[in-house]
Amino acid sequence: MIGVVVLVHSVLAFRFFQLQVLDFDIYNQRAENNRIRAMSMPAPRGLILDRHGEIIVDNYPTYILYGIGAEIINKKHNYNVISQSTGIDTTVLKKNYQNYYRNRFVPTRLAKDLTINQLSRLEEEKNELSGIIYKQFPERIYNQKIHASHVLGYLKEIDRQSIEKLGEDNQYEYGDLIGWSGIEKNYESSLRGKKGVTYYQVDAFGREAGKIFGQESILPYPGKNTTTTLDVSLQQLLETELRGRRGVGIVSRPETGGILAYVSAPNYNPDLFTGLISNSDWQSVIADTNRPLLDRVANGLYPPGSIFKMVVAIALLEKKLINPQDEIFCPGSYHFYDRTFGCWKPNGHGNTNLEQAIVQSCDVYFYQVIQKIKLNELAEAANQFGFGLETYIDLPSEMKGIMPTQEFMNRLYGRWGWSQGALLNMAIGQGEILVTPLQMARYINMLATKGKTRTLHIVQNKNHNIPEPNISNRSWNLIQKYMSKVVTAPQGTGRLSNPKIPGLKIWGKTGTAENPHGEHHAWYIAYGEKDGEMISVVILLENSGHGGEVATPLARNVFKHYFNSNRIKLAKN
Amino acid sequence: MLRDFRNKILNSPISVLLPVTGLIILGLSTLFSITATQGQTPPNALSKQIIFMIPAIILMSIILLTPRRIIHKYIYLIYGCIIIAVTLPFFGEKIAGTYRWINFGLQFGLQPSEIAKWVIVIALARYLSDYNLKIKNIDAIVVPFLIVLFPTMIVLNQPDLGTAFVMIIPVFTMLFWAGSRPIHLFLIIAPFLSVFTAFDILVFSIWAVIMAVVIFLARLKLWHALGLYFSNIFLGLIFPLMWGSLRSYQQIRLLSLFNPELDPLGAGYQIIQSKIALGSGGFMGKGWGQGTQTHLKFLPVQESDFIVSVIGEELGFLTLLIMLVLFSWLIIKIIRLALDTTDRFSSLVLVGISTIFLTHVFVNCAMTVGMIPVKGLPLPFISYGGSFLLSCFMMVGFVLNFGRGRLN
Repeated sequence: MIGVVVLVHSVLAFRFFQLQVLDFDIYNQRAENNRIRAMSMPAPRGLILDRHGEIIVDNYPTYILYGIGAEIINKKHNYNVISQSTGIDTTVLKKNYQNYYRNRFVPTRLAKDLTINQLSRLEEEKNELSGIIYKQFPERIYNQKIHASHVLGYLKEIDRQSIEKLGEDNQYEYGDLIGWSGIEKNYESSLRGKKGVTYYQVDAFGREAGKIFGQESILPYPGKNTTTTLDVSLQQLLETELRGRRGVGIVSRPETGGILAYVSAPNYNPDLFTGLISNSDWQSVIADTNRPLLDRVANGLYPPGSIFKMVVAIALLEKKLINPQDEIFCPGSYHFYDRTFGCWKPNGHGNTNLEQAIVQSCDVYFYQVIQKIKLNELAEAANQFGFGLETYIDLPSEMKGIMPTQEFMNRLYGRWGWSQGALLNMAIGQGEILVTPLQMARYINMLATKGKTRTLHIVQNKNHNIPEPNISNRSWNLIQKYMSKVVTAPQGTGRLSNPKIPGLKIWGKTGTAENPHGEHHAWYIAYGEKDGEMISVVILLENSGHGGEVATPLARNVFKHYFNSNRIKLAKN
Repeated sequence: MLRDFRNKILNSPISVLLPVTGLIILGLSTLFSITATQGQTPPNALSKQIIFMIPAIILMSIILLTPRRIIHKYIYLIYGCIIIAVTLPFFGEKIAGTYRWINFGLQFGLQPSEIAKWVIVIALARYLSDYNLKIKNIDAIVVPFLIVLFPTMIVLNQPDLGTAFVMIIPVFTMLFWAGSRPIHLFLIIAPFLSVFTAFDILVFSIWAVIMAVVIFLARLKLWHALGLYFSNIFLGLIFPLMWGSLRSYQQIRLLSLFNPELDPLGAGYQIIQSKIALGSGGFMGKGWGQGTQTHLKFLPVQESDFIVSVIGEELGFLTLLIMLVLFSWLIIKIIRLALDTTDRFSSLVLVGISTIFLTHVFVNCAMTVGMIPVKGLPLPFISYGGSFLLSCFMMVGFVLNFGRGRLN
C-alpha cells in the first residue's frame, strides 16, 4: 500500500517535471501571449480645408462607451444607470450591444459620440456600474457656415463584408469609420492616417492591468490634411441662394478646372452621419421627396435646353453649313410635316440671324438650320464639349448623361421608329439629350477658354486632360461674341446676370428646359472676367420657369460677391 | 484528568503534525500572495482561512482527547445525522448551480459532505471490525457498499462528482485491508472500467483481454467466470446508449479530458490556463507574488481547486516536489500507524483516512496537470475552504487519537 502511495506521488512529480522543466519554453511563451494585448489607437483623420486655408471639416474628441460581457454584473441595471446619466435610450444600448458583440472578453460598443459632459455625469455613477469602459475617438465636425454635404461626403462604419472585400492588407477593424462618399471616399487613403498600437497588460477578462515595460506603443500617424479648391464664402453664398429650392450651383475657374462652389439643393447637414443628429432627423431626410441625399451636380440628369445651342451653332459653323448673317423669319412656331414646334416666345422673334437667335434664344431659327446636319455630326461636335462623357472629376460617382447618335436612336426606337423631327427637338437641347450640371460646368469652361480648360476637380486633377476640340478660332470668337451679347444686349436673355461692376465682362447663355414632370427647368451658364481673373457659373433650378428670369439673378450675386470682394485670391488651382 | 490528557497528547504520533504544519504554511503563504498582490481586503480568502484555523484546531484537539470507544459507540448515530445533513442543502438555496452548502445566515455556508467523508470511513470501520465477517465471501462486501453508496448517491445528486468519488474510494482499500479477496474488489470495479473504456474500441479491447486474464487466474467456476465476463462486455457495449442520460456538464467534463481545446472557456479552458500557469513557472518559479497568470486572473478558482498551479507558477517545480514529499510523508506515516495498531477498528479508520488524503492529492494534482477531468476537489491543508479545512483537521485528530498505539 505504501508502494501505491509512492507510485501515485511519483507519477504526479514526473508530470510536474514534464510540464515545468521539460516544456517550460512552450508554456512560458503561451503565458506571455496570454497577458499582452495590442490595442489599436485611432488616427485623427486629415482635415479638409478650403482654398484659403479655412477649415471645412475638423475633428473633435468624442467618447465611445463599451461594455465587457464577462464583467457586467447586471446588464439591465447598468443600462438603466447609463440611460439616466447620459439620456441614451436603453433599447439603443441593448441593440448596439447585440450588433457589436464579438465575445464576452472583448469590449463591445454600447454608445458613441458621448460628450465630456455625459461622460462626467456617468463617472459620478461609477460605483453603480460594472464592466463599462470608454475610449476617446476623434469624430468629424463641420464648418457651420456651409453644408457642402455632397462634395464632402460622409464617413460610415465599415461593415464586415466591406472589410473582406478590401482584402487582407487593410488596416480596418469592424466599426471603424471609412469615407463612404464625396471627398472623404475619394481621398480616403491619404485622409485616414495610420493607426497606432498600444500594448497593454491585460487580465483574463481583457481588463487593462498597466502598461508593459519595454514594449513601446506605436503612436497613431494623423491623416494628411487636404486642401480643396472650394471657397467657403462662395459656397455659403450659393447655398443661401438655393435654400428652399431644388437645383444646382457650380462655380469654377475655367483655366484650371478648380471648383469654388459645389451646391446641390436641397442638401443635408453633414452632422447627420456623425451621430450628433437624432434618428428622427435622419428619417425626415430619407423620407423627403425632394431627395436631399441625391447629388444633383454629378448625378442629376436634365435636358440642357437652349444652352445646347452653342454646340449646334459651332457644329454648323465648322461644317460651313450656315452663314451667320443669314436671316430666318420666326413667326413664333414652326411647322414640320404634320407637327408644330413652338418657339418659347409665342409672338415670334421676327427676322433673326445667328447672333439674334442666340442672344434672344430663338428656337425657330435652330429648327430650320438643324436640318442641314446629320445627327452623328451633331453628336460628334457635342462629344467634343463632353456631352455624354465623364468629366473625370475627383469624386467617386458621376453620371455620363446621354448624347444620342444614330445608333442610339435606332436601338431605342427601331430602325424606322424615329424621324428628323427628333433632331429638331435636339436642336434646342430637348428630346433624348440628358446632361449633368457638372458636364455643363466643363462645357462653359471650354467655351470660356476656347477649349483649353482643364479637368474639373475639388482637390486635384485626376491625371486626365480634356482633348482640345478641333474648332476654328473664328467659330470660338463668334460664339463668345454672341454670349457676351446675351448679357449686354437690351433684349439679351442673360442681362439680369450683370452686376455692372466696372471692368467686369460677362458671357452667358440661358436655357429653359421643358420636362414632362411639370414646370420648366431654368438654366444659366456664364463666365465673367475682370483683370485677367475668370470664373464660370452654372445655375440650374428645377421646375422654376425661364432661365433668363430666375437663374440669372443667382449668377449675378455670385459675380458680384466674387469680383467685389477684396480678398486675396490664390492665383493657382 | 489533566494528566490523562497530557499522557494522551504525549503518546500521540505528534510527528504527523510536522508535514501538516509545512503544508499549512505553504497554503497560507500562497493565499497571502493571491490576496495581497491582487489587493483584496479582508474578509478575503486568507483571513477567512486563518479564522477557520481556530475551530479546526479546537475540533482536532477535542477529537484527539475523545476516548475511542465513545467514537465507536456513537458513529452510527453520527452517520445517521450526516445523512440528514447532506440532504439539508436541497431544501436551501441553490448556490452556483449546486446544493452543497447549508447556510446559517453567516458570512459563509457549511458543506456537510466534507464531514461526511470521514464519517463514512469510521462507520465502515466499525462495521468491518464489529462482526467477525466471513470477509472472503462476496456477500460480505454488499453491506459496506450500501453504507458508502447511500450518502454517495445523495452527494452525487447535489451534484458533486468529486466528493462522491472521494467517498467511494476508501471502501476498496478498507475492504482490501479487512481481508477481502482482491478478485471480488476487481469484480466490483470491473463494470465501471467496462463502461469508461467503452469510449474507445482499442482501449476496450485491451480491457477485455486484461479482464479475461484476471478472471482466468482467479480460478472461478467456469459458468461464473463466463457469466461475469460477458455481462461486463455487454455493459460496455450498451453504455454508449446510456451516455445520453448523463447530465450535460458531466458529459462535457468527461469529454474535455480527451480534448481540452473542445471547450476553451469551459472545463477545457481551466485546464489549459492551469497548464500554462504551471509550465511557465519553471524549475524555480517566477517568485512569490510574481505569477502573471495567477494575478491577471487567467487562472480560474485559484484559491481552491487550482492552488497547485499558483504554487507551481510562483514557486516552481522545486516547491511542488517538496509539497509532494510532505504529502507522501503524511500519508505513509498514517499507513505505518495503521500497520502498528493492533486493533482492527483503529487500523481501518487510519487506512480510510489515508485513502481520503491520497485521493484528494491525486485527483487535485492530476486535474491541474490535465491528466483527469476537472473534478473540483480541493488540496488538503492548502486549498481555501472552511468546511474542508475543518474536516482535514478533524481527520488529523482521528489520526493522532487512533494512532496512539495500545494505550487506552
